[in-house]
Amino acid sequence: MKIKTEILIIGGGATGAGISRDLALRGIPSVLVEKGDFASGASGRNHGLLHSGGRYAVSDPEAAKECIAENKILRKIAPHCIEETDGLFVSLPEDGLQFRDRFLRACEEAGIPNTLCSRDETLAWEPELRPDLLSAVKVPDGAIDPFKLILENAKDAENHGAVFFLHAEVTSLLIEGNKIRGIEAKDLATGEEFSIDASFFINATGAWVNQVLKLAGLHIDMALSKGSMLITNRRLTHRVINHCRHPSDGDIVVPNETVSILGTTSIRLKEIENFEVTPHEVSLLVQETSKMIPAIQEARFIRAYAGIRPLFQSEEKGNDRAISRGFALIDHGKRGGIKNLITITGGKLMTYRLMSEKTSDLICEKIGREMPCSTHLNPLPGASRSSGSKERLKQFLTDRGEILCDCELVQRKEVEEFLREEKFKDLQDLLHRTRLAKGTCQGGFCVYRLLGVLHHFKRAGGDSNKILKGFLEERWKGIRPILWGTALKEEELIESIYKGIFNL
Amino acid sequence: MSSELGVRSKILFTLKRRSELRAKDSEPFKSMHYDLIVIGMGLSGLMAAKTAAEAGQKVLIVGKGMGSLCLFSNTLDILGQCPIATKMRDTLSQWIKDHAEHPYSKVGLERIEESLFSFVSLFPPPYSFHAIDHRNCLLPTGAGTLRPTYLIPTTMIGAASFDEGHTLIVGFEGFKDFYTRYVADQLKCRGINLQLPDPFYQELTATALARLMEKKSFRENIGWEIKKQLQGETRVGFPALLGMGDPIQVKEDLEEIMGTKVFEIPILPPSVPGKRIFDRFKEWLTEKRVTFLLGYPVSKATVTEKRCQGIEVHHPPVITSYSADRFILATGRFMGGGLKADAEKVFEPTFNLPVDQPPSREGWFGDLFFSDLPHPIHQAGVLANASLQPVDERGNVILENVWVAGSILAHHQCIVEKSREGIEIATGYWAARRALGS
Repeated sequence: MKIKTEILIIGGGATGAGISRDLALRGIPSVLVEKGDFASGASGRNHGLLHSGGRYAVSDPEAAKECIAENKILRKIAPHCIEETDGLFVSLPEDGLQFRDRFLRACEEAGIPNTLCSRDETLAWEPELRPDLLSAVKVPDGAIDPFKLILENAKDAENHGAVFFLHAEVTSLLIEGNKIRGIEAKDLATGEEFSIDASFFINATGAWVNQVLKLAGLHIDMALSKGSMLITNRRLTHRVINHCRHPSDGDIVVPNETVSILGTTSIRLKEIENFEVTPHEVSLLVQETSKMIPAIQEARFIRAYAGIRPLFQSEEKGNDRAISRGFALIDHGKRGGIKNLITITGGKLMTYRLMSEKTSDLICEKIGREMPCSTHLNPLPGASRSSGSKERLKQFLTDRGEILCDCELVQRKEVEEFLREEKFKDLQDLLHRTRLAKGTCQGGFCVYRLLGVLHHFKRAGGDSNKILKGFLEERWKGIRPILWGTALKEEELIESIYKGIFNL
Repeated sequence: MSSELGVRSKILFTLKRRSELRAKDSEPFKSMHYDLIVIGMGLSGLMAAKTAAEAGQKVLIVGKGMGSLCLFSNTLDILGQCPIATKMRDTLSQWIKDHAEHPYSKVGLERIEESLFSFVSLFPPPYSFHAIDHRNCLLPTGAGTLRPTYLIPTTMIGAASFDEGHTLIVGFEGFKDFYTRYVADQLKCRGINLQLPDPFYQELTATALARLMEKKSFRENIGWEIKKQLQGETRVGFPALLGMGDPIQVKEDLEEIMGTKVFEIPILPPSVPGKRIFDRFKEWLTEKRVTFLLGYPVSKATVTEKRCQGIEVHHPPVITSYSADRFILATGRFMGGGLKADAEKVFEPTFNLPVDQPPSREGWFGDLFFSDLPHPIHQAGVLANASLQPVDERGNVILENVWVAGSILAHHQCIVEKSREGIEIATGYWAARRALGS
């Protein structure tokens, strides 16, 4: 199979999908190649915070300004991916008020709306907060669903002619002189090999940029910083809760539908693959976040996960939090490398649209077309539809259909629809696009049911139990670090089912 | 209305006051005294209660729930991980030689056999338990795998030699805990799904279907429908829900209509066959005047001078005290609440008995879920001597009138060994025997 396109994008994270949409809206054809599913890297492994910019106001004013600008845009174009919760920056007695006052000034300078709230006011809104807190600053933080955001970008891009190859890995770059002529790729599901020719190539692979650049004999300096997060089995607060201090480990709690996400840590990694959350990180997160919300000490956790922040750096620095969260747009032609290769990395989910815009601008400049960006003006396709757990509950009450996932009320119908309509290649594809296995039991029960349904529709590709075991092994990475208390009880049950009753 | 409420709350208040007073009272409540109190109502607790009741003891059995019986225990595992070719007696004998600390080694081969005999005698035909040729046999499961087990109920015998003859697997449309094609494809046989006449229930569960199966007209319709769809199969396998109280009648009616053998396949919890075991124990123990207190956990145990004086059971708003000469602790592992874990350590909540465990949380679990080595935490448990009395690390008895039974004991890996029911039956029996001084 041989494909020709104008622009080839490598990487299906928020940036890759965003660029694909941006180019498509400008009428420029593109093809995107991603070795996993959309949002498989850091784009899907973060705390789902719609930054107000407050978190960077003191330490990185540029990033803070970008955040608040994008925050306003995303609320307009992707309201269905956002819960407008607001956020509080809470000062505790041990912090004093010096940092808070700097924080207030920095917010003003960055243009982040901020309101200083008294202890009584704050506790009336958020009774789980520590009763002796000094004050809180309210900012327009929110919660965002990164999977939905990225899938919506992809859908809009596809509606405008963009093409995607998921579960396809780029195996080589075909270089002629100082230009890339095309790529060779392999479909990881079928093993089929194919090549794509293009005029320009965009490397949007986040923490994986150097793996792609290596195929062209290039390299850039990156710092890979692991950030770990914990999910509680209930929602602890209505608002995003930040610790009002210099950015540090365990200083944020983000509500997400029915749960809360505690974050984060920052640990420098040498390698990318096989990164896991350690029991030490779990203890650290619990210890730090419970300073703000004491109930976290007794909370039940349902999963721990980690993502890798791809931090671009020009020189070595010890502390990863000191490296700018700003993004890097590299024109390799200007560096004496490959003329038609651009790398976009660094940055964060919040600025994915801005990064896409700047990348597409550079492409337009290179191909000599003047087409303005419109991603900040056009809402995403599902923007007029509401969603969330309330909607699912309503849907369930109307349909009274067969429920596969009891924790998240995912109906069998929903899974069957997905199997009919979407290009299903991997169990993760389905898990990314439904709420299945996202609840308290983390798929302990419903994945057996899902396999039953997949097998029924002959979509399990042969050995269903192999897929089942693969899922349980993947699930293990997320739950192993949090196994004590009630979670441990449930683990004993799940193990007794799969190793006991089913003898897997 | 308001005055009624007022009266009611006053009564509650008085009850509460009394219970508080009683709790403070050091004198045990005389009319609530038993020879033996069994804490825990899983298989090990029930076996202990049976053994004591048979010896003419006045027994109280108290439990928060039915233990893992209602979850698993479709069949009785003794040592499923051992080769099928060997007779169970030889398997156990070798196991005891190789595993000095294992609960089986504390009980000993002869008494294990006695305990199994005692269990089996509780289930006279037609619904009885069988070992095929004194060895493990392989039974199909709800994941389409084959699983080794030892004692099987009459309703599963038809599956014991699965590779002989033709089998049809039958499931139900809308029952989400059993997938016919999934099971049948892996077992390389045919599977069909039956459409039930109308949506009887909003959601079809195993227990709801088991109750429906007890209706003669319902199962007859099912039998005839399957008969129409048979293609020469000589055996029909159903998920394990062929009736709660009289599964044999269900099985025989279906067999007569279809002209085939019928068997049950173990599925996801809840376990209907496990509930049948519980019901039979309850029936028998009630006949023997054993007192049942189901649904409430023991909130406190009073200990003085290395002896347990009594327990308190909290049924809001009342707390009741019960005393006894001897106690058996059979509260299970984490699921049952017999062991608890905070982020630092594993502990035993009723008597705070020492728990043998890995040194820190990092060592509780292995890196992989499926691995050849079992997770170390599953070997954690309460230390006991050969009489199943709780001991400290040096082997000194901690409580002189308490015996420990069931999966709460240390030094076994019941999930991987496939020994859960065997350990529960053997240690429940033996703990009661030792408590009675025999």
